[in-house]
Amino acid sequence: MYIALGIAVVVILIVVVLYNSLIAKKNEVTNVFGTIDALLKKRYELLPKLIATVKVYMEHEKSLLEEVTRMRAQAVSGTLSDDQQVELDNKLSKMLGGIMVAVENYPDLKANQNFLQLQRTMNEVEEQISAARRAYNAVVTTYNNAVEMFPTNMVAATMGYKLKKVFEISEDQRRDIDAEKLFKS
Amino acid sequence: MKTLDDLRQFYNTTLICDLEGLERQRRKIVQKVTYVIVGAVCVAVIGFFFAMQSFQAAAPAIIISLVLCLIIGVVLYKILIRSYVAEFKSVVIERIVHFIDVNLAYSPKSCIPKSTFVLSKIFATKPNRYKGDDFVSGKVGATRIQFSELHAEYESGSGKNRHRHTVFRGLFFIGDFNKHFTGQTVVLPDTAEKLFGRLGRKLQSLNISRDQLINLEDPEFERHFVVYGSDQVEARYILSTSLMARIMDFRKKTGRKIHLSFIGSMVFVAASYTRSLFEPRLFRTLLDFEPIRQYFEDLQLAIGIVDDLNLNTRIWSKE
Repeated sequence: MYIALGIAVVVILIVVVLYNSLIAKKNEVTNVFGTIDALLKKRYELLPKLIATVKVYMEHEKSLLEEVTRMRAQAVSGTLSDDQQVELDNKLSKMLGGIMVAVENYPDLKANQNFLQLQRTMNEVEEQISAARRAYNAVVTTYNNAVEMFPTNMVAATMGYKLKKVFEISEDQRRDIDAEKLFKS
Repeated sequence: MKTLDDLRQFYNTTLICDLEGLERQRRKIVQKVTYVIVGAVCVAVIGFFFAMQSFQAAAPAIIISLVLCLIIGVVLYKILIRSYVAEFKSVVIERIVHFIDVNLAYSPKSCIPKSTFVLSKIFATKPNRYKGDDFVSGKVGATRIQFSELHAEYESGSGKNRHRHTVFRGLFFIGDFNKHFTGQTVVLPDTAEKLFGRLGRKLQSLNISRDQLINLEDPEFERHFVVYGSDQVEARYILSTSLMARIMDFRKKTGRKIHLSFIGSMVFVAASYTRSLFEPRLFRTLLDFEPIRQYFEDLQLAIGIVDDLNLNTRIWSKE
């Protein structure tokens, strides 16, 4: 009788520990995703300042700047799904890369202190976003391992936990930024 | 960055002239030290006979005479070499420091303060015996740096049970990091994972004296280092893929145990050594390039951290 009771207590304890560890892992994923979101917002806040500074100089890339402004407005509107948001952010990253490359053609702009400061801040935010994505991938991998590996997979199945996707760089992004092509499109 | 060829040229054209004077001084001291040794042995022999008469036994007489000999020898040796060591440091070490970078200042008797050493959070044990010397500080490009030799120990127990444990011995470097950050990230040599694999990693995650374990995506880096940090994202912001590669290269280049920490927008690097650094070798001639090369390489290891970790790249908001 006591032995059966002892075994039951141990089994319950194990289930509780597994259950809690899964919840902790899921929360970690949500937490890091929130950080990416916060950093993307920081980038959206910087964009109007950047565009205001560069448009005075950039005569030939007006349409590109307008496109970036339009995309930003779309991104902050809050009407997009997670997937659409990620796609838009990727496009935006590519366009910003193009703007930074095009700056090389404008020596006056390159010497502008205000622009230099903005460029540094943009670099910083981009690097922070990339760090947050790496952190997201790391916590998602830990979470996915727990969802798939024995014995946590049994608890995960009863809790309805599913595998999560890691951030992947699209083929398009893997290619180097070709500024000229970007402006023509 | 200065190369070995540059050093050889500097040695042959400039340094050698000053070394000749110092070499004469060294020979005189070696002669005096020989007299001291002979004198100390004589004292030991006389002491032995006196002690034999008083104690009528050989064992205590030998012990007393040896202790007497040792005390006299060490005290006289220290007095004799004091001025030579000071002269050596200003002629040799200071000159090499300025040869590497003229903007750097050298102070032979100072060191990184204990409070800074503790603040770096690299070593979990707080030392209660702390000493160091050969402090170098200044600016290399846009990066402010300082470093010194340190020997930090922890003494436990008392009386006969007193034991000393080395917390750290070697070169301790502090540099201004090129990115802003608010948390703390510590990079330590990985021993648990190397020995026990996945189990080792699990043990590391349970380390209560450290922040949370950061698992980075570079398997090669993970094999050699373990990272703890207060913020998962910030740790990756600091340890970009390129910085991880640079730390790996630095480790390979120096062949030493490397510890790093990133706190208060500064980077702390501790490179372990088992020998004393920047000290003269009394019984070896100074007119030899080999020891000079050694001093140069030890100094270059610390000063070169700025380039090795790319600290002068200022493309982020920190200038």
